[in-house]
Amino acid sequence: MLAFQNKIGKGYVIASTYVSIAITLLIFIILFWYSFEAFKEIGWDLFTRNWNPATEEYGMLSMLYGTLMVTGIALLIAVPVGILTAIFTSEIIPKQYRLYIKSAIELLAGIPSIIYGLIGIAFFSTWISSWFDLASGRTLLTAGFLLAIMILPTIITLSDDAFFNIPKKYREASKGLGLYTYEVLQKTIWPLAKKNIAGAVLLALGRALGETMAVMLLVGSIDKIPDPFYQVTSPGQTITSKLGREVGESAFGSLHFSALNAIGFLLLLLVITLTIFTQIYFRKKQEVL
Amino acid sequence: MLLIIKTSFMRKIIILSVLALTIFACSEPKDDTISVAGSTTVLPVVSSAADLFMKQNPDSKIIVNAGGSGVGVNQLGSQRIEIGMISRDITKKEISQYPNTSFKTHAIGRDAVVPVVSSEIYNAGITSLTLDQLAKIYKGEISNWKELDGPDKEILVIDKEAARGTRHVFMEIVLGDKEAQAAGADLVLGANNEEQTALVQSDAALGILSNGWLNDDVKGLSIKMPDGTLIEPSLENIVTNKFPITRDLVLITNGTPTGKTKEFIDFILSPEGQEIVVKNGYVGISE
Repeated sequence: MLAFQNKIGKGYVIASTYVSIAITLLIFIILFWYSFEAFKEIGWDLFTRNWNPATEEYGMLSMLYGTLMVTGIALLIAVPVGILTAIFTSEIIPKQYRLYIKSAIELLAGIPSIIYGLIGIAFFSTWISSWFDLASGRTLLTAGFLLAIMILPTIITLSDDAFFNIPKKYREASKGLGLYTYEVLQKTIWPLAKKNIAGAVLLALGRALGETMAVMLLVGSIDKIPDPFYQVTSPGQTITSKLGREVGESAFGSLHFSALNAIGFLLLLLVITLTIFTQIYFRKKQEVL
Repeated sequence: MLLIIKTSFMRKIIILSVLALTIFACSEPKDDTISVAGSTTVLPVVSSAADLFMKQNPDSKIIVNAGGSGVGVNQLGSQRIEIGMISRDITKKEISQYPNTSFKTHAIGRDAVVPVVSSEIYNAGITSLTLDQLAKIYKGEISNWKELDGPDKEILVIDKEAARGTRHVFMEIVLGDKEAQAAGADLVLGANNEEQTALVQSDAALGILSNGWLNDDVKGLSIKMPDGTLIEPSLENIVTNKFPITRDLVLITNGTPTGKTKEFIDFILSPEGQEIVVKNGYVGISE
């Protein structure tokens, strides 16, 4: 009887694994299937600037630009803040407080993105417009700023684990050599934790690339690349915000629908590539320690 | 020991099957539920009408969603909803995309599409524009309020998503093509309430709103006609068609409606339903 149950349990575990793999593959295949028409009909014209369903022009360059820019801004803000916070929670405060602070930060990750979007519209966008004296606070910078807050918890907890899991002996040995705390951090802890932190950043990057709702409300949703291109206080468009705004309006099976699938597919490819990099980093870390 | 494992195992199986059954039961579509989606211009009318209708007919259920006219047409076309709300005409392209759906329209009221500015601009003296000036602003040929004798501020030109009803109607009259691209646009937004928020937050914005969505913070502009007369977006000017940018508020169904769907549409067309239309700032269909 027990052996029989064991078999059921094993079957359940294996079945669950296969279901997860199948779902991922299915998403990939379906997206590719529906974007195939767009790849065939539009081809390399996908990488032009003009997007206008009325004239059957589908250029995603401004959306690709927006996605990369917004994600870049988010990382530029979140990575330094996140890593410094992680150093604080893992190295500086007494151990018994670490978990309280950590779980408080992790709570941030559980807030639905539409709530972030509302806070962004109500506060961040008005702040940004008054700080930079802009006509509108719906800019690439605002979206990037909000995204930074959204990916902070991921960076903080994973970096904190990376620092915390480094065996005590390294710290004791460095301190025994008479190094100051900042030297211990800089010369001993940081080189050992570096790879895991890179993994944390890549995971956060994946989240930033895929975030839709909050970005859609804040980015301005106009298919334009600002001039000059680093002028991030202008409105723009990301791939996800384009999808969020237009999928409902496009007729199932039309070229418009297919083009939207195609940009979604390209985003998925981007995220998958990054995930593979993350995996490689995590594997390397196991060899080191 | 064995018994305990067995019972807990059995319990899990029972719980799982109950869960599965519940999900299965939930997925069963209910015949008497009416799903409505589409234009955020028509939305306030239909959702308050639905509240009243459900109060009078406790056995019926109506679910009203937003999304815009484009969403209304697409969801009805793919037959996922019973009633679509639109605030523009269905395009030829849309009709050809859904050969299996025969769109039937039911006008329930009239509305105007009004150019709207932030209250700062309105108070600074810009209370009317000509259609030509509007076209120039949306084309990007006028980009500062100064050029229109207003304050020295860049115009924040707010455009709408391409398939939105308000945009179709406005661009048809102002730029001559309902799908014309607006090179001068700075932001592209969706629903009426999203646009309203952006107009309130800015002090130099120009946008387009449905007449029913105007209030003290977002003021509608009058249109200056070529002969110099000013036509303000009042209900009277909509009734007499004097205001140049007017449209019907329309419900669409697949074929002639039957059953509860027909009852609901008839309810909106009844005097009681038309009162709701007027209460929301639109003009009733009978007037």
